[in-house]
Amino acid sequence: MASSSSNAFTNAPGRTADLEETWAFLSQGVDHIMNKLDTGMSFDSYTDLYTTVYNHCTSTKMHGKADSNRNGANLVGADLYAKLQEYLVEHFKTLKEKTSVLQDEELLRYYATEWDRYTTGANFLNRLFSYLNRYWVKRERDEGKKTVYQVYTLALAQWKQYFFVPIQQEDAKLAGALLRLIERQRNGEVIDQGLLKKVVLSFVSLGLDNNDLNNECLDVYKEHFETPFIEATENYYKLESETFLASNTVSEYLKKAEDRLREEEDRIERYLHTSTRKELITKCEHVLIREHSELMWESFQKLLDFDQDEDLQRMYALLSRIPEGLEPLRKRFEGHVKQAGLSSVSKLVGEGGNADSIDPKAYVDALLEVHKKNSETVARSFKSEAGFAASLDKACREFVNRNAATGSSSIKSPELIAKHADMLLRKNNKMAEEEDLEGALNRVMILFKYLEDKDVFQTFYTTKLSKRLIHGVSASDESEASMISKLKEACGFEYTNKLQRMFTDMSLSKDLTDSFKDRMSQNHDDMDITFSIMVLGTNFWPLNPPPHEFVIPAEILTTYDRFQKYYQTKHSGRKLTWLWNYSKNELRTNYLNQKYILMTSSYQMAVLVLYNKNDTMSLEEIFVATTIGKDILTQVLGLLVKAKILINDEGDQYDLNPGTVIRSLMEFSKSFKSKKIRVNLNLPIKAEVKQETNEVLKAVDEDRKYAVQATIVRIMKARKTMKNQGLIQEVISQISHRFAPKIPDIKKAIETLLEKEYIERVEGSKDTFAYVA
Amino acid sequence: MIVVKTSDNETFTVDREVVERSVLIKNMLDDIGENSEQAIPLPNVNSSVLKKVLEYCEHHRGEPLPAADADTSQEDTRKRSTDISEWDQKFITVDQEMLFEIILAANYLDIKSLLDVGCKTVANMIKGKTPEEIRKLFNIVNDFTPEEEAQIKKENEWAEDR
Repeated sequence: MASSSSNAFTNAPGRTADLEETWAFLSQGVDHIMNKLDTGMSFDSYTDLYTTVYNHCTSTKMHGKADSNRNGANLVGADLYAKLQEYLVEHFKTLKEKTSVLQDEELLRYYATEWDRYTTGANFLNRLFSYLNRYWVKRERDEGKKTVYQVYTLALAQWKQYFFVPIQQEDAKLAGALLRLIERQRNGEVIDQGLLKKVVLSFVSLGLDNNDLNNECLDVYKEHFETPFIEATENYYKLESETFLASNTVSEYLKKAEDRLREEEDRIERYLHTSTRKELITKCEHVLIREHSELMWESFQKLLDFDQDEDLQRMYALLSRIPEGLEPLRKRFEGHVKQAGLSSVSKLVGEGGNADSIDPKAYVDALLEVHKKNSETVARSFKSEAGFAASLDKACREFVNRNAATGSSSIKSPELIAKHADMLLRKNNKMAEEEDLEGALNRVMILFKYLEDKDVFQTFYTTKLSKRLIHGVSASDESEASMISKLKEACGFEYTNKLQRMFTDMSLSKDLTDSFKDRMSQNHDDMDITFSIMVLGTNFWPLNPPPHEFVIPAEILTTYDRFQKYYQTKHSGRKLTWLWNYSKNELRTNYLNQKYILMTSSYQMAVLVLYNKNDTMSLEEIFVATTIGKDILTQVLGLLVKAKILINDEGDQYDLNPGTVIRSLMEFSKSFKSKKIRVNLNLPIKAEVKQETNEVLKAVDEDRKYAVQATIVRIMKARKTMKNQGLIQEVISQISHRFAPKIPDIKKAIETLLEKEYIERVEGSKDTFAYVA
Repeated sequence: MIVVKTSDNETFTVDREVVERSVLIKNMLDDIGENSEQAIPLPNVNSSVLKKVLEYCEHHRGEPLPAADADTSQEDTRKRSTDISEWDQKFITVDQEMLFEIILAANYLDIKSLLDVGCKTVANMIKGKTPEEIRKLFNIVNDFTPEEEAQIKKENEWAEDR
């Protein structure tokens, strides 16, 4: 590598050479290094230069004047340092002259080439003068002379002062060239990024923190590049975004802005200092997003209406970059979902014509459809962001509880949803497959969670469940249990306690029936009636005893008595209330050629067994014989007539007009025909259906009253004294997971508790209550 | 392999790893590149000293070199301690002239650890001695006037070990 030319230095001066002689030799070497290093250098030259510096610095003879203030030994080097400084100043004169005719890319290219050559040379110098660095420079700096640098740093400082600053003083010629090059790239041209990077990073190197040279100092970079760069960026994108939006859609703009932001991120990676990221990106976000956020917010609805997922994603991603960007979207989204839910239900009501006859399944499906679609939007377009999820929930809660189907009624929605759940859980529903059923139940739970009046749902659900269990029409115990555990998970143990007790009663009843049968078969041999019993706890089952007397037909009386006795011996002290209105029987016909099995309610049975002894009876006679309330009895008879078991002598129509009813005679039909052997006559009667809803309402009201009272007592017991307002707030917050309590109801409950002396007013204050222990 | 040539024109062929304990030579090789045909001239070191220095380098080959601008806390511990390892102690047990030659060579070649060993050894020689003893040890002529000497003594009274 070493060529002969590099050995052309004159012989190295001796150890005792004076400054003139020493520098005369060194300057040749420095010159070679700074200008012709590419021609190589030999070990000889390298050692000669190093040794000359070493000899000079270790010579005991004083060069120049000694510093009289200094303590301890003097170090030699100041003269050499000064010579080097002078040399560099001179060096820049020629370099600088050449720049005067250069512009833009040519200037940058020249600057970068010279920078490379210069910094390489400076590295050489730094090592050749390392003896100077190690002792003289170190001592100077230790003594606080912060403007004395290691040789390499000195070279940078000189470059800045005698080359960089003078060029920049001509109209920021370098920075201008950089900015124009970047603008060309933004306009789509291919540029030399390596060149850009080299020049930009040289700005970083030129920053010197005189207090601690190891600290990165970005003064030069910031002043000469970053500040003008950020300004240029702002102007560029301000103009571009305005021009672009003038002739393009918002969707197009979203794409553009996204691309631009990505480009700027890349730019930082490619040729800027990383510290610029924050300011650059913040500025771009301001110009590209914040300045146009109004417009984006306004276009949001349209994107939602047309399901423009990708655009929604983009808009979300862009607006999430500015702190105030998303809230307006969330608000709009909430409104959108609410509107979608409301209009979906309105449409349904419009089709059915009437909110009362609305089909629970259609209702539930409509609500779920809206929820599903929008929760997908949240997941896909808004990255499941918590704020949007909350907006979705808020909107769903709104339209699930209040819509065209519910009107002002707060029980309609829980009722419909509970009815739907009932249909799912019944035998013979269309959801034949287990998996589908489970999925359908999960979907019910989605809506359930939005219900405000969960206690109303609970009451309806309990009623429906009791029917399913009594009539044995539940699809499967497993699905029932699964649904209950879901409810439990959502609302806690207390919420499902009753439901679980109902199942316990069912299985206990089964055991009871079996053991009763065993006992009877041991004691009697005349048990020709198949008998099964359900003993249901009064507190857990939403069942009411019949409002009237019932004459137990002789045919079942024996069995009735035997069971009464059996039960009393087993559980003495328990009172059995017989719910004839829920009982059922099977009768075998003997009066027809074909033998039929009639499945009846106990009322129907009581009526029909009368015809074992009579062929025709009047309503009055039947009433006397059974004592079933007339309003119910007429309906019982109506069903039997309709099934053509009985004939009403006034023609095919059984007239409900009470005037005719009383006079009418019932006749046993001997011409009964049916395709099936088993005939189910046990259909619900209207009075029961209507009654049901009213009962639910009453039960809910009653339950709520107690719930509110219990909550107040619980709170007061814990707090001892409380102000009226605070107490009401606390009650609302504790109870709202079950239903939304009304303030007048809470006040009424407080009054009741004052009367019952659970709490009292604190003397001398109007609105403070105290707990009475 | 690297060839080095001493002031008395003797050449030594050494592993690069060994000779690079000298920061001067390490820098030179980094800057110019390895060249086995050309000897690296060391005009300020003679062969007897270089032999000794290379013995040191050989023993300490592969140990980490101190960073160019060593952490100050590390620097302080290095300066404060006058401990010398057993091997170094044995190595530096030489006559006074050789000791000073080694110190000079270590300084010239920029081998910081060797320079430290040398300087610590000298420091240990001085430790606990009176000025008169030190003068005798290093063959120094007292060039202070009696007044100057009295002045210095007074100024440094606080440091006297009594």
